[in-house]
Amino acid sequence: MRRLVLALLAATAGLAPVYWLVTIALKTEVDQFAQPPQWLFHPTFEHFQALLGNRSMEQALWNSVIAAVGSTICALAAGVPAAYALNSLPWPAGWADRIGFWILSNRLLPPIVTIVPLFLMLRDLHLLNSIWSLTAVYTAFHLPFVVWMMRGFLAEVPPEIEEAARLDGASSWGVLWSIVLPLVRPGLAATAAFCVIAAWNEFLFALILTQTGAASTLPVGIASRVTQYEIKWGVMAAGGVLAMLPVLLFAGLTQRYLVRGLSLGAVKG
Amino acid sequence: MSVIVDRITKTFGPKHVLNAVSLEVGDGEFTVLLGPSGCGKSTLMRVVAGLETADSGSVTIAGRDVTKLEPRDRDVAMVFQSYALYPHMTAEANIGYPLKIRKTADAKKMVMDVAERLGLTRVLQSYPRQLSGGERQRVALARAMVRRPKLFLMDEPLSNLDAQLRATMRGELKHLQHELQTATLYVTHDQAEAMTLAHRIAVMSQGRILQYGTPTEIYNLPASRFVARFVGSPPMNILEQADGTALAIRPEHVEISAKPADGWLAASVWVCEELGNETLVQLKTPAQIITARLQPGPGWSFDQPVWFRFRPDRLLTLSAETQVGPYNLPK
Repeated sequence: MRRLVLALLAATAGLAPVYWLVTIALKTEVDQFAQPPQWLFHPTFEHFQALLGNRSMEQALWNSVIAAVGSTICALAAGVPAAYALNSLPWPAGWADRIGFWILSNRLLPPIVTIVPLFLMLRDLHLLNSIWSLTAVYTAFHLPFVVWMMRGFLAEVPPEIEEAARLDGASSWGVLWSIVLPLVRPGLAATAAFCVIAAWNEFLFALILTQTGAASTLPVGIASRVTQYEIKWGVMAAGGVLAMLPVLLFAGLTQRYLVRGLSLGAVKG
Repeated sequence: MSVIVDRITKTFGPKHVLNAVSLEVGDGEFTVLLGPSGCGKSTLMRVVAGLETADSGSVTIAGRDVTKLEPRDRDVAMVFQSYALYPHMTAEANIGYPLKIRKTADAKKMVMDVAERLGLTRVLQSYPRQLSGGERQRVALARAMVRRPKLFLMDEPLSNLDAQLRATMRGELKHLQHELQTATLYVTHDQAEAMTLAHRIAVMSQGRILQYGTPTEIYNLPASRFVARFVGSPPMNILEQADGTALAIRPEHVEISAKPADGWLAASVWVCEELGNETLVQLKTPAQIITARLQPGPGWSFDQPVWFRFRPDRLLTLSAETQVGPYNLPK
C-alpha cells in the first residue's frame, strides 16, 4: 500500500510538467494563464496548425531526425567494433582497461567546456551551420558511451561460443557479425535508444553550432519562438509535445531492452 | 602422424603452465590427456587448437606446421565442455555453420547425414535451449564431425552429463571415433573415462607429461608414484622403502587369508566394503592402510585378524625420484 502511494507521488511529480505542457499546447492564449487555472476547457489546435504551417519548423524536424538517427548509426558502426576489439584482442596486460578509461575520460568534462574549441574548429573548417557537422559532433559524443555500454554486453557472451566459431572457420569479423552481434541484440537496442534520445533532446551544441534555420534542430527551433517582442507559449508547447512523441514511442518499443541495459551486471542473466 | 607437439612451453605470468611438452598422436588414434585440474591439459589442447599461442615449441597437424596459423586454418574441430552451441541458431544451423562459412556444396545433405548418424533428425528445427543435455552434446559432436576435420579436440565433453548418460555417450563416442578413424585428442580428469576411451593415455601433472602409453601399460606399469596414485580406483598401494624407492601393488593383487601361512604378514581388518561385484577390504598394518580387492564372498568383520601377501609377479618397484622425467618424442 505504502509502495503504491509512493509510486503515485513519483508519477504525479514526474507527469505534472508533461500535463502542463500538453494543456498549454491545447489552450487558447487567453486561457493559458488564467487565474485560477482552467481545469476544464475547449481544446484548440491553433498552435499545432501554426507550428506545422511553418516551413522552418518542418526543416528543424528533419534536421533532428538526421542528427539523431545519423549520429546513432555512425556511433554504433564505429563503437561496437572498438568495444569488441578492446574486449577480445590480445592486449598487453592492463592496456584494454587503460584505453577504455581514456575513451571514457572524454565524457568526464562538462560538455560546455568543449564548445568553444569545437566552435572555432568548425568555423575554420567552414563547417558551422551544417546539420552534417552537428551529426559528426553528436557521433563523437556518443562514442565513449557506446564503447562502454557495449563492452559490458559483449563481455556477457561466453568466450567458448566465440572460440567455437573461430574453430568452425569464421574470421574475426565473421565471429562478430554472425555470432556475437545477434547475441547482443538487446544491448544494441538499448545503446541505440540512449543515443537517439540524447541526440534528439540535445540543445546546447545545436544552439551554438547551428545559427541558421536551415541547420537547426527541433529543440532550437522551439526555443526560437521566444522572440524580442513576444513569447509564443502555445506554439512552443505544441512543438514540445510533437518533439516528445517519437522519443516516447521509441522508448516504449525498446523499454524492455532499456531496463536490461540499465541493470546490466546487477543481475546475472 | 596426425599430430606432433614438439617441446611446447607456455607461461601465464610467472606460472609455467606447460614445460617443454612433447606428444604425438597417430593417424586415427584416440589420445586422452589425463590429469588433475590445473595440470595444463586444457592449455595444451588450446595450444593445439590455436586458441592460445605457445611461448616456444611447434605443433604439426597432418604434416603441416600450424604453429603460427589461425584456429580456422588448422582444420581441427573442437567439442567444448559447455557445448558452446550458438543459442540463436537451430540445431540444423548449428551443425551446418562450419559448412556455411566454407561455402561447401552439398551442405544440406552432409548435415542430414550426420544428424541421422547421431539420431538428431527429429530435433533439427529446435533451438539449443529446447534441447536436453544429451541432445545438446550430440549437436556439438555433429557440428564437429560434419566437415570431416583432420583432428578432433574434445575438452571434457561428457562432464556436464549425468552419470548414466555419460556412460552411454562414452560408448557412442568410442564407436563413432572408430567409424570415422579421425585422430582425436581428448581432455579429462576422469581416469575411468580415459581408460575406456583411449588408445593411449598421456598422464599430466604440473605442466609435464609424466607417462604416455596404452591404458594397460599405464595401469600395470605406472612409471611414477603420481601415475600409480592417479590411475585406478581404488588407487595402488604404495609402500615407501627406507632407501627412497617404493613398492607398488594393485589392490586386486593383494591376497588375504583368515589363517596364518608361511611368508604371509599379519594385519587386522580396518573396514570391509561389499560392492556386490567385488569386495574391498582395508587392512590395518603397523605402517599404513593397505587396500585389497577381492571376489565377492563371505564378509570380513571389524578388527578380525587376517594374513596377507602381495603376488610377487605383480609387485612393482618405483625409483627414488618422486617423478620420472618428462615424456620425449621418439628419435
